[in-house]
Amino acid sequence: MNNIKVIDDYLLGNIDPGDKLLFDANMLLNNDLKDDISHQQKTYAIIRQYGRQKIKCEIIAVQQLLNNAPQHRGFVQRIANLFKKQ
Amino acid sequence: MENSKLSTVEQREAFFLALYKKAFPGFARYVARMGGSLEEAQDIFQDTLVIYYEKVASARAEIIVNEKAYLLGIAKRLWLQHYKATSKNEPLNDFDMVVVPDEQPATGKLLHYLETAGKKCMELLKAYYYDHLPVGDVATLFGYSGTHSVTVAKYKCLEKVRETVKQKSLNYADFIE
Repeated sequence: MNNIKVIDDYLLGNIDPGDKLLFDANMLLNNDLKDDISHQQKTYAIIRQYGRQKIKCEIIAVQQLLNNAPQHRGFVQRIANLFKKQ
Repeated sequence: MENSKLSTVEQREAFFLALYKKAFPGFARYVARMGGSLEEAQDIFQDTLVIYYEKVASARAEIIVNEKAYLLGIAKRLWLQHYKATSKNEPLNDFDMVVVPDEQPATGKLLHYLETAGKKCMELLKAYYYDHLPVGDVATLFGYSGTHSVTVAKYKCLEKVRETVKQKSLNYADFIE
């Protein structure tokens, strides 16, 4: 699976100090490896954004559940009253 | 909080619901006193919960002794940032708090593509790298026979998404750190 796993270990800090040294040296000599590392970093950033979007959607759904479910009506009303007094 | 207790949508729903009940009234009272609206309080509290979730799901999660105080602390700082930005148009860099950013257009396009063309892979990668779920839980959630097969699948997905990122030739500046 080419270098996916070794870059994963390297970027997440799951690599022995000796192997890290070797990897750092490889990186200096191998431009393709450097590019792969850069693309893999971008991939992690994309995964984080995807994760944030999904978790935010779940939170918004909880907010809607609170607003609409009869068992939470008292709670929602107490919150709404705080803003009516302005 | 063990991540295995936040493995499913249902578990996370119960988790967020409990946090709303615990901390939102105090924060809403604060926003109302400051002259803000209910909608502003809700928007900021949603971002607060994203930040809090990332904190507890983190691979290096610390123990949070007073959950309510911690949530209120984050929410108030986000409110102050929002208040300053909307009332005086001041820059947002007064605080070191990590704000949940809006996506950049280039990233948004790629995300949209990945959501439609590779949703299963993105869900698997999210479970590993964002939710930091235990590997056994990921195997169960995604229907794999064991930890080895789900780990192989993870690397295949990572490779597939990395290849897509490479093909799209995006600059790192397009991504939010």
